[in-house]
Amino acid sequence: MKNYDLITPEGTKDYLFGECIVRRNIEDSLMALFKSCGYSEIITPGLEFYDVFNLNSRYFPQEDLYKLTDSKGRLLVMRPDTTMPIARVVATRLRDAILPLKLCYGQTVYRTEAALKGRSDEIVQAGIELIGSQMKMADLEVVSTAVEALRSTGMEFSLEIGHIGIFKELVGRLEVSDRVKENIRKLIETKNFPALNDLLDSLGTSHITNALKKLPALFGGDEVFEKAEELMPDENIKRILDELRELYTDTAEICGGEGNITVDLGLVNKTDYYTGFIIKGYLQGHGEEVLSGGRYDKLISEFGYDIPAVGFAVNVNAVAKVIEKYGVIPAMPRPDAIVFAAEGCEVAAIKAARELREQGLIVENALFDDIESVRAYAMDNKIPKVVVIDGEEDREVIE
Amino acid sequence: MNRPIRMALTKGRLEKDTVGLLEKMGFDCTAVHEKGRKLILPVPDGNLEVVLAKANDVITYVEHGVCDMGVVGKDTIMEMKGKFFELVDLGFGRCKFALASKKGYDFYSGYGIKTIATKYPNVARSFFEKKGMDTEIIKIEGSVELAPLLELADGIVDIVETGTTLKENGLEVIEDVAPVSARLIANTVSLKMRHAEIDRLIKLIEENL
Repeated sequence: MKNYDLITPEGTKDYLFGECIVRRNIEDSLMALFKSCGYSEIITPGLEFYDVFNLNSRYFPQEDLYKLTDSKGRLLVMRPDTTMPIARVVATRLRDAILPLKLCYGQTVYRTEAALKGRSDEIVQAGIELIGSQMKMADLEVVSTAVEALRSTGMEFSLEIGHIGIFKELVGRLEVSDRVKENIRKLIETKNFPALNDLLDSLGTSHITNALKKLPALFGGDEVFEKAEELMPDENIKRILDELRELYTDTAEICGGEGNITVDLGLVNKTDYYTGFIIKGYLQGHGEEVLSGGRYDKLISEFGYDIPAVGFAVNVNAVAKVIEKYGVIPAMPRPDAIVFAAEGCEVAAIKAARELREQGLIVENALFDDIESVRAYAMDNKIPKVVVIDGEEDREVIE
Repeated sequence: MNRPIRMALTKGRLEKDTVGLLEKMGFDCTAVHEKGRKLILPVPDGNLEVVLAKANDVITYVEHGVCDMGVVGKDTIMEMKGKFFELVDLGFGRCKFALASKKGYDFYSGYGIKTIATKYPNVARSFFEKKGMDTEIIKIEGSVELAPLLELADGIVDIVETGTTLKENGLEVIEDVAPVSARLIANTVSLKMRHAEIDRLIKLIEENL
């Protein structure tokens, strides 16, 4: 029989010491940022019914979920995402709450990633959801908070903005089946120009196919809007483009040159879920986005409460990886002192240590028989002070 | 962190054509020709570094962003999938995926489940899934043509260039599965973070195809 008692499951790992400090620091600073903007934390269960994640507008493939059953045989999953549980809470317990609701969270999500790809199945996401406002100001608040979140990492960052409406409007005007639409979306998402051109050519030539062909190439800075303007076939789409341009220009102005704010009209992921702008955040040195979000006005209505929402989440583990590789790792907190109890003085030593801790010091109890071993231990662990309690007076030894 | 743009090239079948393309673009590829055992090779005049890797690894390196761009066959892309941009059809390394079996064998006859030998189980699976056909797929690492000859499999899904190997072994193509050629891929973040540099390279590549 093969025993797995010495290893952790594929896609998981133990986080030790410095890794914990880096991760907690990121979580703490993100949560502090969110709370300073008036967001309140919520914690949802790690286990949810599968049905919460099996919606029309957001579909998690079965094979990506960790599944189990409850005592009645009903299908449960380890939470693969926090936005949908929050939508569930909003549509139920918070249904009568005053709007807008500003919610934040920092919790683990679980998804099965392909094995042996160096990916983690268990990641911490910290994010915000702003619920019940369709105002331009709500969009700007979320996008600028995303920029702040990226900036708080201290690494070189880039925030990219897109708008799903442009793709949806364009493709909605093609008279083709949903399967072809989905194919077009996939090819735009992967910037697969050759296959996209072939597919669209087979549908004939029009303003629409022409604009769709260019969509994945329309990314970069301000100049994207000039190019896109000419391609857009009508006022409806131009209005979306103007909206996006305003969000982009305002965000760039708020950043004032710090970080890199860009636009990509070819951002067309999760089309059914997002209904407005989409953002992705990148850190230099990491091959995938570390932040993603956008406006999703139709999700909560699937739980029976028709209310708009906008938000984003940061992949804390990804940020931690970048900081561990390229950033400044905070020093491990070391004990300021170690207290050694001579035989019979244990109670006095515990009391003495407690007094020192009340002064704000980190204090260890020595767990050795003789003072020489304590000294050696203090030396090895760079503990500056050894306090000896032997029933007489305090003796302090500076190492 | 301004390392040169790193490009992963597929060793072997596509290597010569890719290096030829780089030279046509005006890059000095002496280091690539005289590579010896080195794995990361500088291309001196281009702010470019070349990594030679096996096809599957090209995708892995590009997905993780440790290589910004890659040249890899559509065959590998179809089998591996993954998250990256597939930017340019480079046109060389042209061949196709095809379903083949023993000459004269009526592959689609009968209701028994067919056994398929292949190096590309995902490609084979999705091909038959689209047809609504249940098949048993067996992964073979070496010459797939052997499997039907040894009567392990009813057919094979494999890359066909000229068809000579098939013919010499008494096999024939039953149906084309998909065309294959070399593709230029890019990491999703690199394309954004180093847009100007990568864009310049893509333009240069397209001009020299």
